[in-house]
Amino acid sequence: MNLILNDLRPIHWALAGAGIAATTLVLLFGANRRLGISTGLEDVCSLVLPGPYFQRGAIRSGREWRLPFLAGLVLGGFLSAILSGGWTPTWSLGMFDSVIGLGPVGKLVWMFVGGLLIGFGTRLANGCTSGHGIFGLANFELPSLVATLSFMAGGIVTTQLLYRVVFQ
Amino acid sequence: MRPLYLVLGSIFGFVLSRSGAADYNYIQSMFLFERFQLYGIIGTAVVLTAPGLWLIQRRGRTALGAPVQVELKPMTRGTIVGSVLFGIGWSIAGMCPGPILVNIGEGKIYALAALAGALTGAGLFGTLYTRLQGAFDLPLLEVGSTGK
Repeated sequence: MNLILNDLRPIHWALAGAGIAATTLVLLFGANRRLGISTGLEDVCSLVLPGPYFQRGAIRSGREWRLPFLAGLVLGGFLSAILSGGWTPTWSLGMFDSVIGLGPVGKLVWMFVGGLLIGFGTRLANGCTSGHGIFGLANFELPSLVATLSFMAGGIVTTQLLYRVVFQ
Repeated sequence: MRPLYLVLGSIFGFVLSRSGAADYNYIQSMFLFERFQLYGIIGTAVVLTAPGLWLIQRRGRTALGAPVQVELKPMTRGTIVGSVLFGIGWSIAGMCPGPILVNIGEGKIYALAALAGALTGAGLFGTLYTRLQGAFDLPLLEVGSTGK
């Protein structure tokens, strides 16, 4: 199965895993930073929201690395497109289009709802796939094992319901 | 140091983009147990990161000689509830937080709505923090602390 992006063949999973591990280790060894992406959502919020939660030291002092790292993620996706046949804005969403089949407005609402759960859930759980799933598991942290099992369960049940029951 | 973070983020984003980790179909096929790709990626990443973390922490110093500091995450009632909510969102959007940004970079227009939702969700959480504290046994805010 090819990627939605420019119909590319994906790289081997072992190579991708090694790339993720290398980045994670360089972040810690080179810069003393614990990999974590969802905390960066709070960093962005802290630019505009006053409240004590966003203006505490732990957030403000993390902005200097998290914000450029998040910008890098966007840049990485952009470079990936440019270097593989070109960058074209698209609404295409693979099997969602053939099975669930909402138009642009429906997709925006759908994605906003998914995003809400992602933003609220990762903050309540203190981490996402990167901070809990990669770093926390590799560091043998119990809360990260609990979190990883929980978000995998949430995802598996939801996708199974969506694609095997509701929109079959 | 900022250019370093930008470069590391770009490499991370590029890998997510080309491996299927930021691809709607690959995320769904992971949750449907139809493809091994994503399990292979996460498994390899964890297996290779673990000995590296052990070595770095045993050495106790970063490349520049600073004491290694790894902030640990607390276990609260929010760990399970929040993660389940996140898992549902991950399935709905087909993206976790990093891939939302990667998909925006790739030109996927709908990913902007996922980002708007994620920022709104994080904003709501922070704004409601003091009200959620009791229910989820969340730690007190360290206002004015200078931790990382």
